[in-house]
Amino acid sequence: MEAHVFSNLAVVVLLALGAATVVFVRRNRLWSEALAELWRRRRFSVLVVGLYVLIALLDSIAWVGGTGANGASIEAFEARSVIDRLFAGTRESSYSAPLADHAFYGGKPLEAPGTHLLGTDILGRDVLHRTLKGARVALLIGGVTTLIAIPLALLFGVTAGYFGGRLDDAVFFVMSTLASIPGLLLLIALIMALGKGTWQVCLALGVTGWVGLSRVVRGETLKLRELDYVQAARALGVSELRIVVRHVIPNLMHLVIITFVLMFSGLVLSEAILAWLGIGVDGSWGQMIDQARDELSRVPVVWWNLTAAAAALFGLLLAVNFVGDALRDILDPRTLREDG
Amino acid sequence: MSGGSQSSLREGREAAAVARPLRWAGLSVAGLLLGGLLACSNDPYPQADADRKVYYTALREAPRTLDPAEAYNVTAHAITGNVYDTLLEYHYLKRPYTLIPGLAEAVPEAEPQPDGGVIYRFRLREGLLFAPDPAFALGGEGRTTREVVAADVAFQLMRLADPEENSPVVDPFSNIAGFREFQQALVAAREADPELASLPPHEQYARVGGIEGVRVLGSHDLEIALSGPYPQILYWFALEFSTPVPWEAVAWYDGVTRDRFDDHPVGTGPYRLTEYDKQFRVILEANPNWYGVQNPEWKAPGAVYPSEGEPGDAEAGLLPPDVVGQPLPFIERIEFRREKESIPTFNKFLQGYYDASGIVKESFDKIVQNDRLSPEMAERGIELSKSIKPTIFYLGVNMNDELLGHPAGERGRLLRQAISHAVDEEQWIELFVNGRGIPAQSPVPPGLFGYEPEYENPARVYDPDRARKLLAEAGYPEGIDPETGKPLRINFDSYATSSAQLLQEQFIADALRAVGLDVRIDATTYNQFQGKVQDGRYQMFFWGWSADYPDPENFYFLLTCDMRRAESGGPNYTNFCDPEFDELFARMRVRDNDEERLAVMREMRELLERERPWIEIHHPETYGLTHAWLKHRKSFGISFPMTKYQDLDVAKRAELRRAWNEPITWPAWALAGVAIAVVVPGIRTFFRERQ
Repeated sequence: MEAHVFSNLAVVVLLALGAATVVFVRRNRLWSEALAELWRRRRFSVLVVGLYVLIALLDSIAWVGGTGANGASIEAFEARSVIDRLFAGTRESSYSAPLADHAFYGGKPLEAPGTHLLGTDILGRDVLHRTLKGARVALLIGGVTTLIAIPLALLFGVTAGYFGGRLDDAVFFVMSTLASIPGLLLLIALIMALGKGTWQVCLALGVTGWVGLSRVVRGETLKLRELDYVQAARALGVSELRIVVRHVIPNLMHLVIITFVLMFSGLVLSEAILAWLGIGVDGSWGQMIDQARDELSRVPVVWWNLTAAAAALFGLLLAVNFVGDALRDILDPRTLREDG
Repeated sequence: MSGGSQSSLREGREAAAVARPLRWAGLSVAGLLLGGLLACSNDPYPQADADRKVYYTALREAPRTLDPAEAYNVTAHAITGNVYDTLLEYHYLKRPYTLIPGLAEAVPEAEPQPDGGVIYRFRLREGLLFAPDPAFALGGEGRTTREVVAADVAFQLMRLADPEENSPVVDPFSNIAGFREFQQALVAAREADPELASLPPHEQYARVGGIEGVRVLGSHDLEIALSGPYPQILYWFALEFSTPVPWEAVAWYDGVTRDRFDDHPVGTGPYRLTEYDKQFRVILEANPNWYGVQNPEWKAPGAVYPSEGEPGDAEAGLLPPDVVGQPLPFIERIEFRREKESIPTFNKFLQGYYDASGIVKESFDKIVQNDRLSPEMAERGIELSKSIKPTIFYLGVNMNDELLGHPAGERGRLLRQAISHAVDEEQWIELFVNGRGIPAQSPVPPGLFGYEPEYENPARVYDPDRARKLLAEAGYPEGIDPETGKPLRINFDSYATSSAQLLQEQFIADALRAVGLDVRIDATTYNQFQGKVQDGRYQMFFWGWSADYPDPENFYFLLTCDMRRAESGGPNYTNFCDPEFDELFARMRVRDNDEERLAVMREMRELLERERPWIEIHHPETYGLTHAWLKHRKSFGISFPMTKYQDLDVAKRAELRRAWNEPITWPAWALAGVAIAVVVPGIRTFFRERQ
């Protein structure tokens, strides 16, 4: 299947999931109250995150052909996303400053003067275009990786916490071993073994990232399994699997959501570090920053590439962290009690 | 402060009585420290050396070995090249690179033999001495040196053949008749008789019987017999690998009771190693036994400043009348200082503590502006020298590929030609190497025989329209593959380790996409790339090659059938194989630098214009910086330390160093003022409250 078809399908699935979540939240008093509270507290941050998601979704909807393509180029045969189409035909030959009408070196007039809001990079690509495309990569890394890490963390955390004994020892041993290996080294080793690429990086980040959440989940499960309603269910002869699915996991969901949000920003940052080491994901903000490394020592300085990528990264992470902190305050029963 | 008990009160009073003289002592110590601080300078070298002709340079990392049979990198050559003289040398100024006699009396002529072999006769100068060294006591009580004889060269050639030395240059020297046979005989003898291995090397070699093609005729005559024509062998006699090595030094410095020979070179060069501290500094002092010093009346070409150079040298101040014909060396000492970081090293150069420097990438644009030194640097009298390295970067095509290579026949040829017209190498040089390089027209870089500056490769003209036309001729109009109806898919195999490198490859991919080819970058790690090469699963790649010695053969051999990666694991990564090219190469390889060789090279060039296994990108240029006091320095491209030809104006250096390193004292005074303003009232309050 072509990559863009897959991407389009993923958008449909994501939208369907989003709609399902909305329906679920509307029916569930607890969640709808919590989200209403979040909206009350962090309206702006939620909007910013939403904007990033919107851009990423627009960049994920792609199709072949249509207007805006340059006939002589192979662009006409490639799937281009909505974002790509907005920036069609804005390629220059090399650097140009934001909103300039001539090239940065040599001073030749540009193909599309005054249209590059954030200038162009060394290969003449529009920096705003690249920055917007970075949103998809960032959300992809954060999203896919958490989707790998959270099931792992739940599986291991709940088994260890709920069943205890030898199983707990074994799982805990694995977790301690993983936690004692320097994270970055393990990441690099994994990527060297798996090869370069988006999925490989996500997998490597996911495999190294589940331990923290798993510990919390294990602790919480240890507590939950002693609670009255679990004891009651057990006394009634309900199967272990059913208890876990019905009584334990739903009560871990607030932890999962908090960790998901907080982990997300950490992962996007980790990718930036990997990009610095030359093993990041193609098209990410980390890669843009890495490519801009030499530009700061140019005279006159080429600052827009670095600034754009760093600002985009900063904006997303700040907003996500604000949302994450607010969510923790709202969902975590302990902080709830302090509040009221 | 109020004293609590009686005893503590008394103690306090005593303390105050003692404190008075202490206080003065403390103040005077502080004063001394402050004075010392103000008088001190940042000069890293002893005062005594200030008016000596000492050349200072930085050493990034101490070389693993200084054994001339093994050392094969730039840092090691910076030392061994000064310590070991060779039979032949390069002319300091002439380009293309020209050989002159060194320890030998003349550059030998090839003497073809009826059996197909070739003989070169070297005659060593008489009265050459090794640098003084205690090792020579092995040859007789109290001796510190001895005369250099032909057997010393033969001994070194045998060391090259010795598998235990692990020499990196066994291949070229295998052209000497009997070289491989000697190697095998030596291994066999060691296996047969374990006793043998415990003897010093020269005795082992003597027992095995020497190399057949290395004939020592008397004490000063040496005959080198090659099994076939290989004119490039002379270049190898200008490298330290073939320097005379005294057997005494190898036996003496055994690494058990004394230093290793790796760390203790004993040679015949203009300098000798007198201090070798790998962590701190390496010192070379002028060798009192060097033939240039001992026999200045010889006026040997390797021991006096040359009187002629290439056009432009006189204007560049490289042929000053008062220096031409003067005996070498001018500099009496070379001092390498260990430097681990590039930016502090460069700052020391700017302060005048190193005499020459490369340009750190981080500050390139601050130093060089519009291809000239920035005004700030020029004001300091720093000079910028450019030299083009005998290196080429190129875009290679895997000629075993079904689509682009030999199997595709004429279609593949047209495709390669189209690719060749689509890449704008001038833009590439501008964007990625700060304009430091010249567009490559053929595999042969400037400075080598056969490089013609006026030659422009018609296949390397940047012309996207021509590229599109060639694509159409190949059966891919507008780049569309008629079978699929989509643009032709080509993989660019990248092993980029940094984003900057990836950008370079993206540039090439974009250039090809612009003419309608669907080029995708397949980025992997270097090991995975090697794996792809191993399996033949690659189409296009970016690669470079640096000359070992300045002969075009060292570049054209990269495209011969024998060197194919897929067949023999050689460095021909394109797997290009053309009988016509090989035939031309065989003719070109064995010819001296004459008109006919040039004619053959032109034919080869033409063949490559058509075939395009390589799409030549650029020859890099190195920029060097020197201070005004370092005189008649010409950058050399290949790694030969030409220190003996250079000179220093020590008085000027001392003066400028002083001027550039004026201590800025006001922060110290201001700090002292603040300290006094804070401390004095504090002390006064302390004592007042005590009482």
